[in-house]
Amino acid sequence: MKNKIKVFRAMHDLTQEDLAQATGVTRQTILAIEKGKYVPSLDLAFKISRYFNVNVEEVFQYSENVRTIDVD
Amino acid sequence: MKKNTFYLLTGCIALLLLGLFWYSVELHTPLFIEVGFIVGISTIYLARRTVTDIIEDERSAKITEEAAVRTFQVFWVGFCALSIGVVMEILYIPSFPRERSAFRPPEILPPRMLGYLQLVLLCLMIFLYVGFRIYYARKYGDWETDEE
Repeated sequence: MKNKIKVFRAMHDLTQEDLAQATGVTRQTILAIEKGKYVPSLDLAFKISRYFNVNVEEVFQYSENVRTIDVD
Repeated sequence: MKKNTFYLLTGCIALLLLGLFWYSVELHTPLFIEVGFIVGISTIYLARRTVTDIIEDERSAKITEEAAVRTFQVFWVGFCALSIGVVMEILYIPSFPRERSAFRPPEILPPRMLGYLQLVLLCLMIFLYVGFRIYYARKYGDWETDEE
């Protein structure tokens, strides 16, 4: 899961701490999401995107990583 | 309740439990420490719910959950293996073919030995949990640093 939180934060001139407080998580969680170490829940993903007034797909991009299975 | 007050309370309870443990050993009455432990841990749980300045978000909950599940998955194997061993000790296993000379009385582990086994299991559980907690905290970016 890729995300553009850092870009949106820069656009809104927000620190990680500001965003963390607004969404009810710790700064470490925002940092972990930005670095791709942690995939947020749907609830948190929607909170973050609503805070930036955009759709969730604009902030988070799902990267396909599915193993192919041969179906006869 | 403030975070520091909670930590202070937890430290006091730990010291009290240590004293109670010593007292129970001296009197050779395990009931004191058993009841004290339950009351102490329940007090810590109740006090933890009133702390206002600790943010527990979904990531920290996930770290706790994953560490607990992995600890359980590993611990129960060791626990069952040791328990089976102890059960084997207390059960009389007849030898085949059954001969009168092969009869032996059942060997029962002394309580002191059982105590050591419990201690090993307790230490195993604590080490596993701490180890898994460190692993998952690292995996989910607990010690990541940033330019901010």
